[in-house]
This record gives sequence, structure tokens and C-alpha cells, in this order.
Amino acid sequence: MSLVDELQAILGPDRVHSHPLELFVYNKDAGVTRGELVAAVLPETTQEVAACVRVARAHGVPVVARGAGTGLAGGAVPTEPAILVVLTRINDISDVDSDGRTAWVGPGVLNLDLSRAVDHLGLHYAPDPSSQAACTIGGNVGTNAGGPHCLAEGTTVAHILGVEMVTAEGDVVTLGGAAPDPLGLDLRGVVVGSEGTLGIVTRVLVKLTENPPAVRTILVTFDSIQAAAATVSNTIGAGIVPAALEMMDQPMVIAVENFVHGNLPVDAAVILLAEVVGLEAGVVAETALFEQIATQAGATSVRVAADEEERALLWKARKNAFGAVAQAAPDYYLHDTVVPRTRLVEVMTKIYEVGDRYGLEMLNVFHAGDGNLHPLVAFNAREPGMSERVRQAAEEMVKISVEVGGSLTGEHGVGLEKRDLMGLVFDPIDLDAQARLREAFDPAGVLNPGKILPMGSRCYDYGMTTLPETENV
Amino acid sequence: MTIRQLVTRVARDALADPVEGAPPVEFTVAPHTPDDAAAVLRIAAEHRMRVLFWGGGTHQRMGFDVEPDILVTSSALNQVVDWQHEDLTVVVQAGVIASYLETRLEERDQTAVLPETASGATIGGVVATGVSGWRRLRYGPTRDRMLEVRLATGDGRLIRGGGRVVKNVTGYDLPRLATGSFGSLGMITEMCLKLWPLATEQAMVAVTDPVAALRSAYRPLAVIETNRHSHVYLAGTAAELEAQAERVGGKLAYGHRWPDPLGGAIRLVMRMPPGHTVAGVEMVRELGAEYQAAHGVGEIRLAADSFDLAELEMFRKKVEAAGGAVVVEAAPAGFTFDPWGTPPDSVGLQRRVKAAFDPVGVANPGILPGGV
Repeated sequence: MSLVDELQAILGPDRVHSHPLELFVYNKDAGVTRGELVAAVLPETTQEVAACVRVARAHGVPVVARGAGTGLAGGAVPTEPAILVVLTRINDISDVDSDGRTAWVGPGVLNLDLSRAVDHLGLHYAPDPSSQAACTIGGNVGTNAGGPHCLAEGTTVAHILGVEMVTAEGDVVTLGGAAPDPLGLDLRGVVVGSEGTLGIVTRVLVKLTENPPAVRTILVTFDSIQAAAATVSNTIGAGIVPAALEMMDQPMVIAVENFVHGNLPVDAAVILLAEVVGLEAGVVAETALFEQIATQAGATSVRVAADEEERALLWKARKNAFGAVAQAAPDYYLHDTVVPRTRLVEVMTKIYEVGDRYGLEMLNVFHAGDGNLHPLVAFNAREPGMSERVRQAAEEMVKISVEVGGSLTGEHGVGLEKRDLMGLVFDPIDLDAQARLREAFDPAGVLNPGKILPMGSRCYDYGMTTLPETENV
Repeated sequence: MTIRQLVTRVARDALADPVEGAPPVEFTVAPHTPDDAAAVLRIAAEHRMRVLFWGGGTHQRMGFDVEPDILVTSSALNQVVDWQHEDLTVVVQAGVIASYLETRLEERDQTAVLPETASGATIGGVVATGVSGWRRLRYGPTRDRMLEVRLATGDGRLIRGGGRVVKNVTGYDLPRLATGSFGSLGMITEMCLKLWPLATEQAMVAVTDPVAALRSAYRPLAVIETNRHSHVYLAGTAAELEAQAERVGGKLAYGHRWPDPLGGAIRLVMRMPPGHTVAGVEMVRELGAEYQAAHGVGEIRLAADSFDLAELEMFRKKVEAAGGAVVVEAAPAGFTFDPWGTPPDSVGLQRRVKAAFDPVGVANPGILPGGV
């Protein structure tokens, strides 16, 4: 029986796509690269996922897991012809425990749908990527997704207590659980953010967070990036960790204003969007302190959202930034480096220099409080030589971040896009250790091969280091 | 050349006096640098010598016995390497005493949220055992503060995972994997921790119903119930604390007084799904033990000078049936109760992961559940 026939025997003909036109929908994520697929399958149960993995394995074809395909780093784009396991149909929310503040959910549940489903209990799911209306919890687990509110709450991994996973062998295993500190090695922690290379997550035990009794959302304008960055550093330094602390430069504010019409301050060089949450008494005090810090750093205006409607509008503006860019240019390239927060001014200054030097149109909107930068280069790939210029500038920007002790990616993942840059932050011996870890989960290289680690990571020869002779022992 | 001599050649001045309270070993090593730690492990792996890692010795009774040939202590890895106050991160070596670090951080209004009453415990030990303080209800477990790890693996490679930034998905999360690994992957030599600002005021409120208090307080640091009383632990501005006290319905007592560590020759930790904490406390009462229960977390510490083993086995069965575990934290020699209980169903995978870092099996071999 052919591979596709076998898959159809498991799932029926309607949930196995193999026609080239159907596969065209599935062979890329929200980034730019396309991959090649043998088939895309839509399982509805864990057992179906396991059966698909076993069939693929028997045929020697790799398996790539995918959620909604909103990823930007190519994590769900196959590097060789593969079976794509689309998990959007495993999307039930069950076992909501309002006392324990946990729920088991399918990987296909949309991030925002989860928060909406538990809102009546006074709870929400804290990580909130900008794509939260479209991205899935499974995809969030795959990339260890972030979002504006991860500043105070931590990224996805701090909110995943357990996973049920199909292994590379097609077995089903549960890692972690609701009780604190599950026994043995924390494999749950390492599966989160592993981009489908260690297993295919089919159920997720999430931690839910109490909704805050009071919220203030504050919009501050500045004449310079230096003043805005100083506000960020001084706020953290003053012992305030706001719920969110987001920065947007003028080109981005203009693009967003044209898109959402939120009466945004388009004349400001840069804006900060801050949110403080908690008890009313604390929120009032923190808002006042934040205003004071911003004013001292040179803020030109401070506006506190008057009501929930205005607050929602400000967040709509922030979370639609990347959609808004589509108006500016047909293509964009988005960075995701992280730098120590104390180095923000220095790094941003250098990044603007690179943009100017290459003559690129650059817009910035990012998680300033985390030091997680998202310089976005808007361009037209049809312009001769443009793609190459964008690529060269991108590499320089990454190097600037790494040189001050930063990392390649804060929340989007390594995927394909940053795979070959891993050597900038890790030595061969570190990459070899990561490759060994992956091999422990997937010795045959069935799961999402060619991602995260550059080719050849597994052949570091530590035996070359010099040690004393041991023959005489 | 003897192995002891080999060790002195790769790790200068590393031979150390035996550690008090440690099991008998051929010799004791205290490497001065992470590189030296790796070199020592390389020799151990080549000569198949079982290594026991030692920090402050406060949690050495956890897990299965290792029966070591040599002991490697972190006592000479005792530097605070880099404290970026404005960035809320600190890089420390494994042998730094946790309470010493906290005292230094508190002087400048920060905290690594390490266990509050971990007298003598080292940072390396806290991370290796994965223990957390009471404040984990608010700040999450210790592993959520692990940004970067330097690990001397069981086969003597010095590797680094994670990074010194507060948000990072570059590569697999080795810092979290190392947390709670009990030395099974190798020796944690150095780590970067995420810090939190300390609130201006701290207070507690005595309550009669901890469950109601957990519901009515807004994200308290801890809600702790003991045999005698229950308290909500709070932090914030004076105005916030007043508001919290009103919500909880009690009187503020300024300052924090954490429960003293339980006495008793046998100390156990019960881990329940947080929603089952009350049921857990009921089970402990039936057992007649002293206890300290962290509501909202599901951790219940219990102690007694002796237990009826058959009764304890029944107790564990009930706890495990509720999705929990009973773990031995300290016990006299000869206490035959299994230190972990039923191993997780991922034990095969765990064995493979250990082998990826410790292929020969010399790093705290067999200490984990299932003898991993």
C-alpha cells in the first residue's frame, strides 16, 4: 500500500490531502519559505496522530507538526518531503479546574479562545502573542511563544504544567502534571519550545491566571528613542515590573494609525505602551511612579486610557502592527533578538545605523521591557538586489545583538530562519549537547528534521582536547 | 599514575578534605573552576568511577543512594560572577550559599526567590534538587528563574545552555532540564538567574480558612496552613497591603515569619494537584504528622520521628491515585520507604536523556525515580 493509501486507511479520504493544489495551502507558515509535502493529514485524536507517525516512520518519511501556521521562522515548513500533521482539529477544552486553576486543552485550541472560555471563572491564559486570535496553543508550545504580557508572567513554558505527546516511535507519553515538581527529569520543560523535534504534543495541561482587579494602560510619547529606552531601564531599575512595556517608533505608529485609526500620536518619535495591573491601590501608585519616571526621562506626553474601550483600542493598535505593515510594502523581514535591557539604547542606535546604511525602510515595535527587539524591514522582493541587502542587514543586526550578550530569538523560535546562526551564540560543544538531547528523543530523525540545529552539530569531537596520558593507570 | 594523581594534574589544588556527613569515598574533589569540574568528570567517566555531587548537604537524603567512588563538592565554586542590578539578572557559581546570595540581593531590594529557610543550602543544590520556596505561588518555581546553565556533563564536557537575557528560545531549554536533575546529567557549575524586585512592605494575615483566603487575596506570595494556624503572606505598598487585608478579612502583621523547617527524623514532601490541597491536608491529618501546606501550590511538607510503614504505603497509594506523589526529603539510614514512589511513565525516555549527557553513567547514577 502506498503511504497516502495507508494514511487514508487511518483517517479516511477527507482528512488526508495529497493533491498539489491542496498542499500549496500547507507548505509554508507566515514566513517566506515554502517546503515540500507528501501529504497533509488532519487527525482528531491522539491515537490517530500516533498511527500517522508509525506509518510515516515505516515509509521512512519525516513528520512535521503544525498548528495554525502563524509561525515566522519556518518551524513548520518541511526541509524535505514530509507528512504534515495539522493539529487544528484537536481543539477541545476539558477538565477546567477553577480551584486548581488548570485545564487540559487540545493543541488546536486558539490562544484567545482559551482565555475567552475561562473568562467567566475570572481566569485567563497569560501568554498573549500578537497573533493570539489566530495561533494555537500547540503552536505556542512548539515555539515557547511570548507576547506583551510575558514581561511579568513569563513565556509559554511557565504556563504549561504538562503535555501528552506522541513520540518519534509513535508511542504516547505524558510529561509533567498538575502536581508541583513532577518526578524525574523535567522533560516537559524541554519539549516546550522544541518546535516539534522531540515529539508531537497532542494534549496540553495549562496553568490559568487570575484576572487582575484593576488595570491601567498608559501611552507615553517621546522625542527620542534614548528617552524611551531610559524610561524602560529606569522603570525596571526602580523595582517595577509592569504587566507590559511595549515600544513603537514613528514609522510603525504611522503605519498602525493608517490601519486602525486609533487617534495615535503620529508626531512622536517613539511611543511606549505600558500596562500595570493589580489591586486598585497598587495600580494607582505604580501608574504615578511610572509617569514620574517617564517625565524625568523626557516624555512629551502621558495619556492613561480612560476606559476599557480606549484600552482595547491601544492594544488593538499594538497587536495589529504586523498586519498594518502589509500596507507599507509587499514583503517584510522581522527580527526577534533579545538584548540585556540595560543595552537597549546602544543597540537600537546601531540598528538604526544599519538600516540607514543599507537604505532600508525599517519599522520598530517591540517588547522593550524584556529587551526583545523586533526591527521590521519592509521591502519589495522584486526590486533587484533588494532581498540580498535585507539579508545582509539582518545578519548585521543579529550580530549587534549577540555582541552585547543577547540571543537570536526571544519568542519566534529558531526554525529554519536562524538555524545557521546558532553558531553565533553557542560553541560546537554546546550544539553537540543539544543534538545529543534531540537524538535521545528521536534517534532516527523522524520529527521535523533540519530544524533548530545547524547541519553537523552532532559531530563535535571533544576528544581533541588535551588531557594527561592515562596509560599508566 | 593513580587516578587521584591524574585529578590533581587536570584540576589544580582540587583535592579536598572529606566532607562531614558524606558517605565513604576514595577521595574528595573541590574544583576551583567549571573547566576543572569538567576535567575531573572526564577522568571519572574514563575510569568508570561513580561520582556523588555535594553542595550544602541539606538535601542529600533525597533520591536513591548513589554508592559513590568519589565525591565532587561545589565548595570552591563560590563566586557571584556578575550581578546586573538594572537588568534583574545575576550569574552565580554553584557553591554560593543561597541565603548569602539572598542577603546580598535584598540589600539592593531584589530577590532570586530562593527557599526562605534553606540554611546552608547552595544555589547549585537548590537548582539540582529543584526545590522552591514558599513564594512560588506568586513567582513560580525555581526553574522559572533559570536563564542560563553551565553544566559539566557526566562525560566531562563543559556545556552552556540558555542565555543571560530574560526571554530566550534559542535552542533547547537546558537550564530547565538541569533544574531538578539531581546531578544525573553532571555537575551544575554556574547559572544565570532572573531576579524580582522586592516590594516595599511585607506583611502576613492570620486566617481561619486558608482556602477562602486564597480565593479572596489577589495573588498573595503564599498561603500556608500548619497544624496550628494559617497565614496569608503578602507584599506590596502599605496601601496595597491594607486593601489585601480587607479582602482577606484579617489584621495585618508587618514583616514575614516563615514557618521553621519541620523537625522530626523523617521528613516527607507531598505533591498534590493544587486543587486537591485540602484533600491532601486531610490525608496528612489521618496520618498524624506535623505538616505545612502551601495552598494554591499543592506542596505539603510533613514530618514525624517515625511512621508505620504499611500506613505510609497506603497513604502514598491514595496520594498517587489523586495525581500526586510522596517524596522522602530526609530520613535516617535504614528507612526502607521508596524515596520517590511510582516512577513516571516517561522513565524510558528519561534514561535516554540522561545517557545523552552521561553516557557511561557516572553522574549520581541511579538517584532518580526508576533508578535513572
